[in-house]
Amino acid sequence: MANRGRRKKQMRELTESKAEMQMTPMIDVTFLLLIFFMCTIKFKKLEGKLAAYLPKDMGQDTTEVDPVEKLDIRLDVVAEGERRSPDGKVAYRPGVHPRFEYVDRIFSIRIGPREFTSDRIEEVADRLRVFASDDPERPVTIDPRSGIVTEDVVRILDRVLDAGFKKVSFAGSYEG
Amino acid sequence: MNIAKHDAETDMEMNMTPMIDVVFLLIIFFMIITDLSQQELEDLELPMAEKAQEDKPDPKAKRPILNIKQNGQIIVKRDVLFDPADGNTDRSRVATFLQSMAERMEKVDGYPDDPVLIRADEFTPFREIQKIMEMCADQNIKIWKVELAAKVPDA
Repeated sequence: MANRGRRKKQMRELTESKAEMQMTPMIDVTFLLLIFFMCTIKFKKLEGKLAAYLPKDMGQDTTEVDPVEKLDIRLDVVAEGERRSPDGKVAYRPGVHPRFEYVDRIFSIRIGPREFTSDRIEEVADRLRVFASDDPERPVTIDPRSGIVTEDVVRILDRVLDAGFKKVSFAGSYEG
Repeated sequence: MNIAKHDAETDMEMNMTPMIDVVFLLIIFFMIITDLSQQELEDLELPMAEKAQEDKPDPKAKRPILNIKQNGQIIVKRDVLFDPADGNTDRSRVATFLQSMAERMEKVDGYPDDPVLIRADEFTPFREIQKIMEMCADQNIKIWKVELAAKVPDA
């Protein structure tokens, strides 16, 4: 009779401990998944932006003379460079690689009206700061020519906004 | 119900289940949110800009996001609206999209007051963006604020 009592207790302990063991690792895994997804959201949102403005009367005839002299920045390609695979090691092949990277690219920057031309961004940045210190409200137009890519324009726009210019716009496209 | 059994093990057993349900629900919630928030952003290599302002999108603002790949494809919410392959120049679907977004924007002096975010790959020819900007100048659209998405350098 004493044995029966002990066996009953053993059986009870067995069934109780079984459920307990299964719970804990499952909770650990669940919390880990939760933290993983919380971190995934955070990484995706770290993007920046540069603001520019389109002149409100673009597209209509602009026969009126501009009272303020616009600062015109013209971008031209000097050397298009070579298209490489994303890791830069081999030449780019359209079906094989998802995107290409340009290597050895050179573009020239001409700041009117004194026709200061350069292909070094830092020189340009210094010159822009000089212009901006005279008049930060002066409208700036960025005029990218054939072959210019987004990265070129964004680097210049970055320096233009950094110099302190407030009104930056873009010229129309020249190709059909 | 056994009132006599008050050891710690039995107590924990009773409280666990709803907590696990809640945790699973939270996981499903985050999974859905992550998927929905990334629907508009294509996988691109954005150009780097040191002075780019951090993009804190206001969920209430109606800001159209145009993704432009290297080959000139314009993608909005995973849908390819324009593909320049084979000499195609018909950007009408993009114009329709911009027009419908512009109509829903709040207007100030007759011009929509919200910007359009252009997320272009760093090596996208800039004339693709210029074409979009020219579309924005259209009388039916008149969007005048443009934001170019950029990468912030690692601090």
